[in-house]
Amino acid sequence: MKKIFNLLLGVVTSIGGFVEAGSISTAAQGGAEFGFALLWAIAVATIILAMLAEMAGRGATVSKQSMAAAVRQRFGFHYQMIPLGAELIIDLLLLAAEIGGIAVAIRLLTGAGFQWWVLPIGLVVWLVLWFGNFTIIEDGVGLLGMITVSFIVAAWQLHPEPKAVATGFIPSIPDHDLTRYAFLTVSIVGATVSPYLLNFYSSGAIEEKWTEPDLWINRTTSYLGMGFGSIVSMGVLVTSAVVLGPLQIRVDSYEQAALMFVPAFGRWAVTLFACALGVGCFGAAIEITLNAGYVLSQSFGWPWGIDKARRDATRFCTAFTVVLLLSVLIAVVGFDPLQMTLISVALTVVIMPLVVLPFLVLMNDHQYVKQHKAGPLANGFLAALTIVGALMALVVIPLEIFGG
Amino acid sequence: MEEHGLTRTIDVVHDVLDKHIVDRNGREMGRVDGISVELRGGAPPRLAEVLIGASVLGSRVNAVVGRWVQGVEHGLGIGEERPVRIRFSHVDEIGDKVKVDLAVGETGSETLERRLRTWILKIPGSR
Amino acid sequence: MSDTIRLDRVIGRTIRTANNRKLGRLEECRAERRGDSWVITEWVIGAAGLFERLGVGVRMILGFDAGSSFVARWDQVDLRNPDRPRLVCSVEELKRA
Repeated sequence: MKKIFNLLLGVVTSIGGFVEAGSISTAAQGGAEFGFALLWAIAVATIILAMLAEMAGRGATVSKQSMAAAVRQRFGFHYQMIPLGAELIIDLLLLAAEIGGIAVAIRLLTGAGFQWWVLPIGLVVWLVLWFGNFTIIEDGVGLLGMITVSFIVAAWQLHPEPKAVATGFIPSIPDHDLTRYAFLTVSIVGATVSPYLLNFYSSGAIEEKWTEPDLWINRTTSYLGMGFGSIVSMGVLVTSAVVLGPLQIRVDSYEQAALMFVPAFGRWAVTLFACALGVGCFGAAIEITLNAGYVLSQSFGWPWGIDKARRDATRFCTAFTVVLLLSVLIAVVGFDPLQMTLISVALTVVIMPLVVLPFLVLMNDHQYVKQHKAGPLANGFLAALTIVGALMALVVIPLEIFGG
Repeated sequence: MEEHGLTRTIDVVHDVLDKHIVDRNGREMGRVDGISVELRGGAPPRLAEVLIGASVLGSRVNAVVGRWVQGVEHGLGIGEERPVRIRFSHVDEIGDKVKVDLAVGETGSETLERRLRTWILKIPGSR
Repeated sequence: MSDTIRLDRVIGRTIRTANNRKLGRLEECRAERRGDSWVITEWVIGAAGLFERLGVGVRMILGFDAGSSFVARWDQVDLRNPDRPRLVCSVEELKRA
């Protein structure tokens, strides 16, 4: 009974924690510019994420090692330093973008200026990590994040034409701006399949002390949690498509995106959007910061864990503090959070093949997953994903230049 | 890794390098960041020491990076005890982890952790 | 007279034959316990580089083993200059992996 409750909680928190700066901005732009035509991209990206997350959780549960630890151990530091270095850079930018997103949300709510909000926001993120533990952080973030369900509510209220929505799930070639369409497709994938999520998820399996009998929880949380979470993303896209599309608004800022709530929520539009954006970004900021601590400690072999006493994992604490500080500095400089989001999303796609390739090896390695190996279908998927990922990695920078 | 009666053969890169290393009480000491080998003219080279430390990792990237990290370690005041060197004769077991017959306190592997601890203890809530 | 070199700096380096042709990269070394010491008995030289460590994954994607490997005895490899490992015998004398 307790396990069922925990499972439900896990699924709910996955929904609440799904959308953040990357998914909101790419879905909002996708909807405004191409109507429902990019819904399939969100669906496909979510399936990819769910499969990879399930594998990451499986490996960590069976071997008691996170992804980063397993990659160092199995591939050595020479291989790892490239995806590790790249992931840290992406995390710094993405974290700065999330913090910026929270600052924009506060400005939408209070009207008060932007840059200097970043410092207290950074402090609050740090305080939550310093005094919290894994359960409080995961459940707190997820439950607060339920406010993002307002995107689903808004989409529902707008009564979009069901057949038109359904057609959006079939991949199609648009009749205008092919490069832009391709760029947004790739960006949606990059925004959804963030590398930090995979290591975070595998570290979480260890923090929660899952064992092999819990593997069904891992599977269910991955597929159901992320599946339902993607509906929130789709809500963003549909709402944007119905409201902003006809107005020919190209979403260049979060302020513009907020307009999508006006028909559904009237005078509450900006407040609700700001809360959903702020909470979504706050949850992501906490996870990215924590994951920076995880990935550095696990790669270098330091003791780690948010449930450990802080004095027993000093390098871990110092690592996430330093990363948070650097991101706050980047955000304070005042780069546009939306632009930073799009850049980090593009970089995510560039390193994706290097992140996926280890899965192909580890999921077939008895030392890592024992008898829970990937079947031929999963291996086929991973191989295909590595190749497709490599192709996307090659085109994303040119696409960013020509379609971004 | 194979067992051949009394002798054991290992694949050093696969079985030792980058693995977790633990002390005789099972406490984490970090990872095998490097290995030094003694070349002996006329006799097979001998595995000399296991090396632990960020400067060791740094020099695997590039000699310049290694020296830079060494500089940082000196700046943090832990330079003298880095890299941690453990003679191979202390290696007890090579399995999922590398186990040595020393205690963590007998090596310098916790120096940075302890130094940071003195600062972290000043922050309330460090439990 | 003994010299100490860093194994992790030698691994991955290209090893050349006596007439300066590239043979492959030093991928792995095998060591044996003798008394209190571990001594290196063999070096695995592969053409595949990183792929050696990736093992099954690459075979699955590429469908074949990338490159062939040799095994050299410790006395067939000269590491006095660790940046330029050299083979001190002919390639024919090496075992195939």
